[in-house]
Amino acid sequence: MRKRAIILNTAIIFGFVAVFFRLVDLMILNHGRLSEKAKMQQLKREDIQVRRGTIFDRMGRELGVNLEVESLYCDPESVASPKNTAYALSKVINKKPEAIVAKLSAKGRFVWLERKLRPETTERIRRMDIKGLGFKPDAKRFYPKKMLASHIIGAVGIDNQALEGVELRYDKFLRTPGGKIFISRDAKGRTLSTGVDRESKGSNIVLTIDEALQSIVEKGLDDAMVRWQAAAATAIMMDPFTGEILALANRPAYDANNAMFTQDSERRNRAITDCYEPGSTFKIIVGTAALEEKVVNLDTKFDCSRGEISVGNAVIHDAHRHGVLTFREVIQKSSNVGTIQIGMKLGKERIYKYAKLFGFGEKTGIDLPGEISGWIRPTKKWSAVSPGAIAIGQEVAVTPLQILRAYSAIANGGILVTPHVVSEVRSPDGNSIYSFSAAEDKITISRKTANIFKDILKTVTEEGGTGKSASVEGNPVAGKTGTAQIIDPRTKRYSREKYVSSFVGFVPADEPIIAVVVYEPKGQIYGGVVAAPIFKEIARQSLSYLNVQREDMKGENILVVDRRR
Amino acid sequence: MLNVDRRLIKNFDKVTFFLVVLLSVIGIMTIYSATRPLLPTDQPGYHIKQIYWLLIGIAALLLVVSFDYIWLSRFAYPLYAVGVVLLLSVLIMGKTGMGAQRWLNIGRFSFQPSELFRLIFIILISRHFIAIQGKMGLITIVKFFLAFACIPLVILLKQPDLGTSVIILIIFLSLSLAKGLQKKVISLFIILGIISIPFLGNIFWEGLKDYQKNRLVAFMEPEVDPAGIGYHINQSKVAIGAGEFFGKGYLKGTQGPFRFLPEKHTDFIFAVFAEEWGFIGSLLLLLMYLILILRGLDTALKAKDEFGKLLASGVTFMFATYFFINVGMTLGIMPVVGIPLPFMSYGGTALLSNFIAAGVLINVRTRRFELFY
Repeated sequence: MRKRAIILNTAIIFGFVAVFFRLVDLMILNHGRLSEKAKMQQLKREDIQVRRGTIFDRMGRELGVNLEVESLYCDPESVASPKNTAYALSKVINKKPEAIVAKLSAKGRFVWLERKLRPETTERIRRMDIKGLGFKPDAKRFYPKKMLASHIIGAVGIDNQALEGVELRYDKFLRTPGGKIFISRDAKGRTLSTGVDRESKGSNIVLTIDEALQSIVEKGLDDAMVRWQAAAATAIMMDPFTGEILALANRPAYDANNAMFTQDSERRNRAITDCYEPGSTFKIIVGTAALEEKVVNLDTKFDCSRGEISVGNAVIHDAHRHGVLTFREVIQKSSNVGTIQIGMKLGKERIYKYAKLFGFGEKTGIDLPGEISGWIRPTKKWSAVSPGAIAIGQEVAVTPLQILRAYSAIANGGILVTPHVVSEVRSPDGNSIYSFSAAEDKITISRKTANIFKDILKTVTEEGGTGKSASVEGNPVAGKTGTAQIIDPRTKRYSREKYVSSFVGFVPADEPIIAVVVYEPKGQIYGGVVAAPIFKEIARQSLSYLNVQREDMKGENILVVDRRR
Repeated sequence: MLNVDRRLIKNFDKVTFFLVVLLSVIGIMTIYSATRPLLPTDQPGYHIKQIYWLLIGIAALLLVVSFDYIWLSRFAYPLYAVGVVLLLSVLIMGKTGMGAQRWLNIGRFSFQPSELFRLIFIILISRHFIAIQGKMGLITIVKFFLAFACIPLVILLKQPDLGTSVIILIIFLSLSLAKGLQKKVISLFIILGIISIPFLGNIFWEGLKDYQKNRLVAFMEPEVDPAGIGYHINQSKVAIGAGEFFGKGYLKGTQGPFRFLPEKHTDFIFAVFAEEWGFIGSLLLLLMYLILILRGLDTALKAKDEFGKLLASGVTFMFATYFFINVGMTLGIMPVVGIPLPFMSYGGTALLSNFIAAGVLINVRTRRFELFY
């Protein structure tokens, strides 16, 4: 009995020693490896959801937002039957079965099948319950107003990477770094940590654009395109005192929601990326320069009765024959002959100096990508024809925005503003992290000259002026027409069919300045006929929207609400 | 009949009593920790149920101690009959869980007759072995096996309850050894065992259920498919290893509540304990079991009669077998056989049965000085 008891005791103790050594093995010798395993099991690596900031107009209307959607991916290794799966999927997503099969049998363990599905599609695929498919949350950039202001807002690609416009220019604010986050989870993959922010939001952008004005401008352009069967058209509306762009539109345009399926010509922001010979709208250079330099006074007479003038070896004509015109009338009637004579009096150096003062040949500095500077040659490269040609807006290339800015200087008393479309950037928690501040404003001409010239420009839309059809009922309009031939790339000569018709003007009561440029109108060519009525319609509706009091009704009891902030 | 006199109280085996109560309390604490919810939802009531069972168990233990254990031999047959009937009724109308029928529903409680049967079996075998003079020969042992072990083994394997079947077999063999076997019988068993391993192994393998096969494969090569059959073993080792030297601290363990560890509050409770209390805590727990078992063997040695010796040996062997199979499986040095850790694992019938068994042990030790009346 004793012997058996000793054997049993020994056996038991032996068993305990075995257990003891195993504990030493697991808990002391190998604890590092096992602890690490435990930790890894409990952590789930997840992508931080990256969300671009929202884009607002000046009144806080949303122009660019995010839709929470899901994207479909597959793990080719766990897809049981690529063919059947592809067939089932092809009924739901817009892809051919062969294309899906290719993705389902691709190498690797993660392949996107279709990005940014509609919620109902997601639901249908979920219900199919196919092994090897999975969803990841994704954000679709959505522009609720579709075509509206697409040249300003811009667009993003499938991975929400910036492609155009404010989206591109302000990408560093809108974008936010992504990355991975470790989240504790249980064995069933359920997330346990709460309160972990798995979303990273970019900063929000407040544009200077007013959605209402923008749609007025766009509607005006649509009318112009239909009415004149034009190749293209551009219109810009700006606050001449601050440089805030209130509206900017081009035709053709595109829906930024489908940016990937659009053509280059539709995406081009002609207001800043295309230059043209401005023609008569450029006459303000010699006009203001002559006044500023006191080369002329308002009543200096110019003999335009011949209807043509020789400059160098060229002869330049007037569109209509005029008699003897005063300085004021030369501008009002847009006489080439008169303007060239003013130009001759100024001389080429002063023409060049003032063209540069008004910002031509240089970028305006607008905060949109793709702006070009246009060009004006330095005087030493000028020919004998150049002073006359440049005086009437030939041999120079400008963008619509440059013209608009030059006229703003007349409207605001001589200051060259910096056009911009973004007024403020706000962080997701609402703090302002950027706001536009103008670089030192450049003075072009004296306030006095500007005001005198403003009055001359008013006569353009009065009886006898070229821009009569731009006049808005109740408010005088100051402006200038422009009609320029396009150089035919084949003949290298001015085309007889292709013109650029423009009108740039403003209501001289602290109101927005508007430029309208219509490229290649059919039927009519003159800025006063083609562009001026478009200007008028845009101006009329805008003044109404802005509740601008009619000048002829001043003093009457009308409720005035200033809609601009 | 109640024989509560001073001597009984004086000789009462307090060490064993406190050990089993302490182990049960540690068990309840660990069950609470293992089943605590991670998200703010209600704590499931496993620990509360176990507290009720502990109180019932203590009452049962005291009741068992109050009778002289000699009465057990008188009730051995009726108890055995009741036990077999219960096992059969499980087969017929039992509740199925985890691929086996083991539970009987009685009111709100689920009752696992096989847990009680192992104790009845010890009593019955002890009762018969005392009648045998000297060491047992081959014929005697085969006769006993066929008479008493065969029927319950067949029923248990039918359920199937591999764990309890193994326990029953081990109890039978170890009680035979304790009683005394002729040397040639022992030699024969050893030789037979060695020869039959390949043959039996095959038959044994074929007779296994799929999940049982998987467990064996998993034991041999746990790394083959960590997410599949070897998952239990790997996860258990990970949890224990994560405990390191000092442990993560009570209610700080994660592998259990995070559901990485399967059967966390039942079969793998030791892993949960080890993760929270570390190497030091595990060692102390091992010591408690070691003391319990060594004291049980000492009780067998000191018992006043052979029936007491056999009872104490049987109960102690049973505890030891449970302990080694359970802890061995948790540590990955034994195949996964679904048996609980005595006193700690969640399970009412098992706890009650173990307390009655401990009561028997205490009874034998307490009455070691008493003479026959």
